[in-house]
Amino acid sequence: MFKYILKRVLIFIPTLLVISVMVFLLNMYAPGDPVYNIAGIDPNSSKPLTPEAYNAIRGELGLDLPVFYFTMSSIAYPDTLYRIPKKEHKATLGRLINDHGNWEEIREYHRSIEALESRVLEIPRDSLNPKALIKIKEKVRGLYRIHEDIKIQKSLESMEKPIASAPSTSILQPFLEDTRTKYQTMVNNPTKWKTKVPTLNWYGFKNQYHRWFSRFVQFDFGKSYQSKRPISEEIGERIFWTMLISFISIILTYVIAIPLGVFSARKKDTLADSTVTTILFILYSLPSFWVATLLIVFLCQPEYVDWFPPYGIGDPAPDAGFFETFRIRAYHLILPLFCWTYASLAFLSRQMRGGMLSVLRQDYVRTARAKGVDERKVIWKHSIRNSLLPVITLFGNIFPLMISGSIVIEILFSLPGMGQYLYQAIVAQNFPVVSTIVMMAALLTMIGYLVVDILYAVVDPRITFD
Amino acid sequence: MFKRKKKAQKNTDGNQSYWAYVARQFKKNKRALFSLYFVIFLAIIALFADFIANEKPIICKYEGKTYMPVLKQYAVGLGLAKWPEAFKNGGWKEKEYDFAIWPIIPYLPNNLDYDAQWASPTGRQICACECTSVLDDECVESNKCGNNKLADCNKASSCTLKVIKKTPNWKEGMAEDEVIKYCKKQEYSIWRHWLGTDDIGRDVAAGMIHGTRIAFMVGIIAMGIACIIGIFLGACAGYFGDTGLELSRGSLFINIFAFFIAFFYAFYSRSYIMSDAFGVSFGKAIWAFFIGILIFLAIMAIANIIALPLNKIPFLGKKVAFPVDIAITRIIEVINSIPLLVLILAIVAIAKPSIFLVMAVIGTVRWTGIARFIRAELLRVRRLEYVEAANALGFSQMRTMFRHAIPNSLSPVFIAVAFGIASAILIESFLSFLGLGVPAETITWGKMLAISRTNASAWWFAIFPGLAIFITVTLFNLIGEGLTDALDPRLKQ
Repeated sequence: MFKYILKRVLIFIPTLLVISVMVFLLNMYAPGDPVYNIAGIDPNSSKPLTPEAYNAIRGELGLDLPVFYFTMSSIAYPDTLYRIPKKEHKATLGRLINDHGNWEEIREYHRSIEALESRVLEIPRDSLNPKALIKIKEKVRGLYRIHEDIKIQKSLESMEKPIASAPSTSILQPFLEDTRTKYQTMVNNPTKWKTKVPTLNWYGFKNQYHRWFSRFVQFDFGKSYQSKRPISEEIGERIFWTMLISFISIILTYVIAIPLGVFSARKKDTLADSTVTTILFILYSLPSFWVATLLIVFLCQPEYVDWFPPYGIGDPAPDAGFFETFRIRAYHLILPLFCWTYASLAFLSRQMRGGMLSVLRQDYVRTARAKGVDERKVIWKHSIRNSLLPVITLFGNIFPLMISGSIVIEILFSLPGMGQYLYQAIVAQNFPVVSTIVMMAALLTMIGYLVVDILYAVVDPRITFD
Repeated sequence: MFKRKKKAQKNTDGNQSYWAYVARQFKKNKRALFSLYFVIFLAIIALFADFIANEKPIICKYEGKTYMPVLKQYAVGLGLAKWPEAFKNGGWKEKEYDFAIWPIIPYLPNNLDYDAQWASPTGRQICACECTSVLDDECVESNKCGNNKLADCNKASSCTLKVIKKTPNWKEGMAEDEVIKYCKKQEYSIWRHWLGTDDIGRDVAAGMIHGTRIAFMVGIIAMGIACIIGIFLGACAGYFGDTGLELSRGSLFINIFAFFIAFFYAFYSRSYIMSDAFGVSFGKAIWAFFIGILIFLAIMAIANIIALPLNKIPFLGKKVAFPVDIAITRIIEVINSIPLLVLILAIVAIAKPSIFLVMAVIGTVRWTGIARFIRAELLRVRRLEYVEAANALGFSQMRTMFRHAIPNSLSPVFIAVAFGIASAILIESFLSFLGLGVPAETITWGKMLAISRTNASAWWFAIFPGLAIFITVTLFNLIGEGLTDALDPRLKQ
């Protein structure tokens, strides 16, 4: 047994690594610049981050490291491209490399833009140039983002007029000229063949993925973009509610579903059985987000009846006694619990009925009955254990449920749990939170599978692990 | 010659009889059979949605000429024809036709009808009448007419009415009481919003009809993608197992090497082309991706041709088994380890909203069930005599697999597909219910259901779209159950 568990845990590791790479990739392709997100500043605002502040946050997030242990690219790409600070600059440079293939010239061009920008920032605002200066600034920043030939030409041309318009800005003329010549050299000396030759770059262990994953293993999940608080702290606050509700719901499910399934199997082909089966089937097919919507619309609104509160977990006074708090909480949780429970209840009862029916057909059950064992004993002693396998399978689902919860119920009833946290993170594009929850959900799912396998062996001694 | 033909005939008969048997078993299950007919009915609605709910007449006679605008819409959509001058600017309902047959629901889901905001299916909801201020200024000033609706106007007796919207039967110069009478009649005419409207007057019935099309498309395309991936990978895993696929060391080495090279040329160096295509349209992106796959396959094929002479070298020619089964079951395990909904939500979150992307994501995540089914089936089938016979005849492994083994193991896939369509529809409605992944202009059932959260008194939004989702999902589940019973060999005795 111990050997089996050890083997399974060892198999986990590569699976978890693959999942972590997938989640990391998802993070990489997420839109937006993480530095601006964590600083809470819109990159297009009038006051963008200073380069020093930008680089400080970037270093703090580890974004100045290479992305992965190795990269596959063409020889046109320098292996130091990751050192370019800004994400959008990197994207434009990647495009330029893809179009022209001559990194040396592209770098010169990029530096000439940087020189131009730094000169623009040095020019003080005076009465002669306010509009022109703003326009030049805009155009220069725009150069970082465009890679199409026509657009760059146009942009360079359109800068000429505002630069010439005031004496203070006309000192930029040589810099603009420099950018233009650098651009021309870049366009005129393409080495596009370089983009067609593959190469492999090795970066070693100092990379973003390694950093992210090793921190994840130590439960350091980073900071949320929204609240700027550590994600582990926020999860700690929210996991209680999801765990509480899923725990109660699972208990309810088991307590109702197992006897119901057994009852239905024993009374097979009677009116009672077909009624129960039909109701369970309908419950099983009812989308829980529809049921929750119906309940909220028709039972929680003053337009119809408002028996229940439509959202939240209640707000008991801090000095309220235990029973008062319990009453308020329970009152708020009745509908969510119902929605949370009915679907798994229907599923489990149907499984239980099916399992029981196939067990009741077995020879040993017939033998037990033939030798005159009490029917109750036949069911609860001889048969139940063998029909429990589907029930155990559901038990494995509890673990991931703790994290992902029943997303829709938490959203609809505004419960402050993990599901709602995930949804809010997705809507706000808060990717550190999304990737943390995906990773934790995956981890717990795997633990769930392991627990289920072990429980199978406990319930059914015929299953061995060798 | 004759004999052989007869034998072949008999053979196909035998083949048919299995499916005939399945059909017989399936027909015994009344619920499943009924569901199948119902699904066919819904599929017909989805197919002919443009003829059932449309803002254009099906046939109309306008200024002496007969047109079929709904049919023409397809020709225009394909670029084969152009709208005649008269219809260029739309305004289908304002025109005076000599004769017109309208669709049952004369609205498109996106048509705005500002005269009927939050119109209830049971309440009064007309529309085409409005107060005028010509006779009675006081009426307008005191705002007795409310939102310029007939319902309010009737209370303010001093108001005069005029019809502003020209509907086919209305004539200029009607008397006031005639107008009221006409309006009352019209309220139960085809212009009525039978299932109500939303805050900007979009017709619910039209949304339901066109939503059927999207739901079916999502179910079928998503499961189509899942089937292609699932059947191929599942079959490879089951048929080859861990020892079945033997490669020479040379080929193995070259294949691994070529995999990276092919990936580089097919996808990496074309990544900008593909992302640009995705920005243009989803069809272009699929095309770019398809070309990528072709390049990939071409490079792999060239590599395997190069490998042929290498295999003559004794060391490189030695055969080693490639553990296909382990590799594929690992992939399945990785995908199954992430809760489905969480994974789909995370992917949809970073991409641009597109209904086709939702289909593609559901398809690429949901294939594992199909793959597991077909793997288990092929593990059994590959030991059967006829597969061994095919091998003994010297057929290539690919031919044996695709021509002989897979066609005989497809029955469990049907079950998985029926349940899969149900869950794909459910996932799509859930996503659009949350407003994720589906673009704003696409009307789906889930989106309509979500409207009920903004206005609780609009009960028709809570009921109808949800009912549509529930019924469709239940039907596919019932078909899945029926297929399970019909295909289950244990019931054969």
